[in-house]
Amino acid sequence: MNSLEAETRRVVSKLLEEKRVDGVIAPRRHQGCTGPHLFQRVEEVEKLVLTPKYPVANLCLLIQTKHPEAKLGVVVRGCDERAIRELGKLGQIDVEKLVLIGLACTEEEAVRCGCSQPYPSRVDIGVKVEGEKPDTKVAPIKEKNLLERLKFWSENFSKCIKCYGCREACPMCVCEECMLEKWFWVKGGEIPPEIPTFHLIRAYHMADKCTGCGECEAACPVGIPLTSLYLLILEDVKKLFGYEPGRDERISPLLTTLEEAPISE
Amino acid sequence: MNPGCNIDYNTVLTTCPYCGCGCGLQLHVLDGRVVGVTPPKEHPISRGSLCIKGWNAHVFIHSKDRLTKPLIRKGDKFVATSWGKALNLVVDNLKKIRDENGPDAVGVLASARCTNEENYLLSKFARVVLGTNNIDHCARLCHASTVVALGEVFGSGAMTNSPTEFEKSDCILVTGSNTLEQHPLIGATILKARDKGAKIIVVDPRKIMLARFADIYLQPKPGTDVAWINGFMNIILSENLHDKEFIEKRTEGFEELRETIKKYTPERVEKITGIPKNKLVEAAKMFGVAERAAIVYSMGITQHVTGVDNVRSIANLAMLTGNVGREGTGVNPLRGQNNVQGACDMGALPNVYTGYQKITDEKIVEKFEEAWQTKLPRNAGLTVVEMTEAAVEGRLKALYVVGENPMLSDPDINRVRKGLEKLDFLVVQDIFMSETAELADVVLPGASYAEKDGTFTATDRCVQRVRKAIEPIGDAKADWEIICAIAKGMGSHGFEYSSPKEVFEEIARLTPSYAGITYERLDKELRIPWPCPTRDHPGTPILHVERFTRGKGRFTPAEYREPAELPDDEYPFLLTTGRTLFHYHTGTMTRRTPKLVSEVETGYVELNGEDAKILGVKNNDLVVVTSRRGSIQVPVWVTDRVPRGVVFIPFHFAECAANVLTHAKLDPEAKIPEYKVCAVKIEKKNG
Repeated sequence: MNSLEAETRRVVSKLLEEKRVDGVIAPRRHQGCTGPHLFQRVEEVEKLVLTPKYPVANLCLLIQTKHPEAKLGVVVRGCDERAIRELGKLGQIDVEKLVLIGLACTEEEAVRCGCSQPYPSRVDIGVKVEGEKPDTKVAPIKEKNLLERLKFWSENFSKCIKCYGCREACPMCVCEECMLEKWFWVKGGEIPPEIPTFHLIRAYHMADKCTGCGECEAACPVGIPLTSLYLLILEDVKKLFGYEPGRDERISPLLTTLEEAPISE
Repeated sequence: MNPGCNIDYNTVLTTCPYCGCGCGLQLHVLDGRVVGVTPPKEHPISRGSLCIKGWNAHVFIHSKDRLTKPLIRKGDKFVATSWGKALNLVVDNLKKIRDENGPDAVGVLASARCTNEENYLLSKFARVVLGTNNIDHCARLCHASTVVALGEVFGSGAMTNSPTEFEKSDCILVTGSNTLEQHPLIGATILKARDKGAKIIVVDPRKIMLARFADIYLQPKPGTDVAWINGFMNIILSENLHDKEFIEKRTEGFEELRETIKKYTPERVEKITGIPKNKLVEAAKMFGVAERAAIVYSMGITQHVTGVDNVRSIANLAMLTGNVGREGTGVNPLRGQNNVQGACDMGALPNVYTGYQKITDEKIVEKFEEAWQTKLPRNAGLTVVEMTEAAVEGRLKALYVVGENPMLSDPDINRVRKGLEKLDFLVVQDIFMSETAELADVVLPGASYAEKDGTFTATDRCVQRVRKAIEPIGDAKADWEIICAIAKGMGSHGFEYSSPKEVFEEIARLTPSYAGITYERLDKELRIPWPCPTRDHPGTPILHVERFTRGKGRFTPAEYREPAELPDDEYPFLLTTGRTLFHYHTGTMTRRTPKLVSEVETGYVELNGEDAKILGVKNNDLVVVTSRRGSIQVPVWVTDRVPRGVVFIPFHFAECAANVLTHAKLDPEAKIPEYKVCAVKIEKKNG
């Protein structure tokens, strides 16, 4: 058994035993497969695993919707914490009710995701590794000239079977009304959905939200390099507006303001 | 700190209730409701993905339209009643009709959506309790051609390989399968194979989405498949690309095949099919030179009056090129429903018991008579369309329909209605009030896939678990419990089971191909491909590796024959029918899922742009489409997916039902209707 998993099980069991939380969200290996789960009893914890990873913010949101009073532990990697921060700012998750258990990704995991910040703000389990250079994942695409890029994205978008998996898997996609489903933007019932409209709408909506977790790409059945698409936009957003989703708890998101004026330092 | 906040939450790993891909699904259950799904990343088919239906597979479960109480017809209306009253009515009527008219006056339609355990019980019920072999289900309408043809020429009527191997193929020939729409995760695998360098050949009368990714796309006239497949073989032989060693060692009947193939020159094939001969040659060569070539097919091949010949020809092509029994090759029929493979495996068919054990084999009949403790009928029963005819003619007087909707999915719906209305007694067991249930005398509320335990078998012969996540909605019961209750009510003692697991154990005892599979193994191994003869056998991912199930593979030459009803002056358009990605079959589940309805709300007729101009219609105009069977009004979708003279209508929508138009002429051997070809006329709707 993996020592990180052993450590995580220890920490989670303790939290449950001491009744400091009503449950802890982490992946569980069960009935032959893995998936995100809410551990509520110590006896279950032996089934807790850390890989493959699943986005945990979605489950937080689901449970908080029905049980806003619940105190939830969550095992969070860097990307999970960033998502929770942004969702907190957007008023979708009550961050005060969460106990975060910070898990650092391994070197191998960081390389696989091409991630530049593979650790949460506080690491409780595992050892922080540096991560990749910020534009590792997108570098091969940036090397293409504009015409090559147009061809690259058009060919990729043409494979889309409109499963909406990118949206379903994304921790940040929580809108009750989704623009992708509006007939005046994208005609229903067509595959591939209108190129490039469908994917660019999503990409622009991700501009101030994407935390680089890679779940969209993992969920895409036809292998469209979605995370790279959003990371390219994030690069521009950082350059133009100095905004990086999930890095700060107080700076207002770019596309949404909850108050008259953006919250500033 | 929160003292004891009670969160009733669990996750359950199950299998998607929609198509034959058999994707794994984790259901999230919160406070007694299924609220979401997550595809497991390790599942060999879903691999962390789902199609739009899969991502919404939980939504219909809690629809307010769910049948929650047994219903009895009183005149035009249905009245809710107790289980006791409803079951008594069913038992009394079935008994009476059976006793007064003989067992063969009663029929059973089993369900390709229900579990293996339930289909087994229905087969047992028909034979033991009713005393008839009149049991069939919708496989008759989709892959009956496959089961008959491959059963004959290979000895086993199932998909020989698995989609998990396609990424090892060098060439994939896809025909009569709109894979990206109908088996999306398998279509996705084909695209991944292409990314890895596999050559893709698509042969389809419609320019389906996959055609855009093909290295070669051929567009034959509908119903001309024997011709182009023979043409492929003609070219492969003349180019010397056939696998001589394989033919010599593993097959019989080659000389007879060669004689027939000689006649299908590229020139002749072009005349019959419309495929330009140089393109045919290019495609055949591409297939012939490939080291590992897989053939993937579905309804475009099977749903014809020559369906069995079409499948035989596919098998011929695979054997000719030595593409059977190795990884990344094979004959791959993509089964439609989540458990149509299983329903067939369980013997919900009029001529076999479980595992395709024939009712004409005395030893087999004796084995089942011993196991089921009763004398069994020896004459083959009626198939689905034959049951309609028998009902119209008054020979069939009662029908027990479980999880099927012939009023929308069978051909020539007006005739189906006539038959069903003529029955003395119709009992329908379903989760929604389907068009068929509307005609019933008694409606019994069954349970969805999330409300019972059991197993499904996916298109690649892999048995997977279905797990109960919530209690049945309202007063609905698990279908296996209802079947057993009716059986017991009719005096049978062979239906005392305390769980689906017990039923599965009985299935395993009687079925060599399932004998080694257990629920415990499925908990650990996730999916086990039959044949799995013993507890320590790993299952059989690839069929016919050393030998064919029957010994040698048999070449069976086929000659091109025309479809039953072609366009003429009065009905100048060729109608072909099929499905769309966003809905499933008769729409009982998908049309109650808002996100799917917002994509495609109602039916349409795909009409070529040139034809639209001549008819004077634009996109969304209403047209009247008429055949010799009936007429529907349907909006137009102008598209070049269909060639001139051909139109396409999906069959999911009751308000513009494609099957009002189709005919019930059958393949003589498989008894499958020719959904893919009939003649219609189209007029713009005025006013």
